[in-house]
Amino acid sequence: MSETDRPALEAYSRGELTAIALRRRLGDASFGDVLMLLGEAGLPLPRAPVAGREAQIERARSWMFPRDVA
Amino acid sequence: MSRDLKLFVVDTGPLITLAAARSLDYLLYISADLIIPDAVLHEATRDAARLGAEDIIDWVKAHREQIEIAATKAYERYDLARIAAPALRESDLGERAAVEVIEEPDRLRGAERGLLLCEETAVLRRVVVRDRERIVEISTLDFLRILEAEHRIQSAEQVFELAAEAGRSASRVEKLSANDHATRTAILDLVRQPQ
Repeated sequence: MSETDRPALEAYSRGELTAIALRRRLGDASFGDVLMLLGEAGLPLPRAPVAGREAQIERARSWMFPRDVA
Repeated sequence: MSRDLKLFVVDTGPLITLAAARSLDYLLYISADLIIPDAVLHEATRDAARLGAEDIIDWVKAHREQIEIAATKAYERYDLARIAAPALRESDLGERAAVEVIEEPDRLRGAERGLLLCEETAVLRRVVVRDRERIVEISTLDFLRILEAEHRIQSAEQVFELAAEAGRSASRVEKLSANDHATRTAILDLVRQPQ
């Protein structure tokens, strides 16, 4: 990992850069490369913010696990 | 048998993360048709030395009856172009294929609903979701947290930790270059639908 890679990885980890943009910046790296570089840098994967998406996630849950209606 | 819920894996992230954590079977823990665009599968497995690639190929082979590898024009054109340029890479191929599959008019019929599973939302920004009532996009972590909430898995966070550990410890030695042809052949077998 070069010194210039780290800011891009940090931006990705914070959710400020998409995986596609990061992969291009890293020279067409694969997502596997991204995972390994994040691990080497001690950075977490970006997390989709849950705030504001609760209803959407709950709807997905109800579709995935529909409750039996008596 | 076709089910009312369709789970579309629209980028390589979920496959690679779950493969790295040895948890690909989680995609089969819900009652849904599982659909992976051909180019997404290709991108996740085109290099056997990449993290998770071999596991993904083995897993798809083992569950071929439960997984639809959706054929796309984007991948067909790319595959044809590789005849002239075998080393051709298109970094957004999987994304374009996913958009193509999601936008197929007959993908969701009647009361069918769709879950779009991706690691991040770059794909979804390109998709005009015609029916927000019937299509929901969720991240890998959302998906795992729902499984956790339903007591189908122990811990969503643990899956991500396992993936990160696999990435940290994975060898970057290009040990499988000799297997590259065999891998490509295996992928083609997977992505070409039987006529």
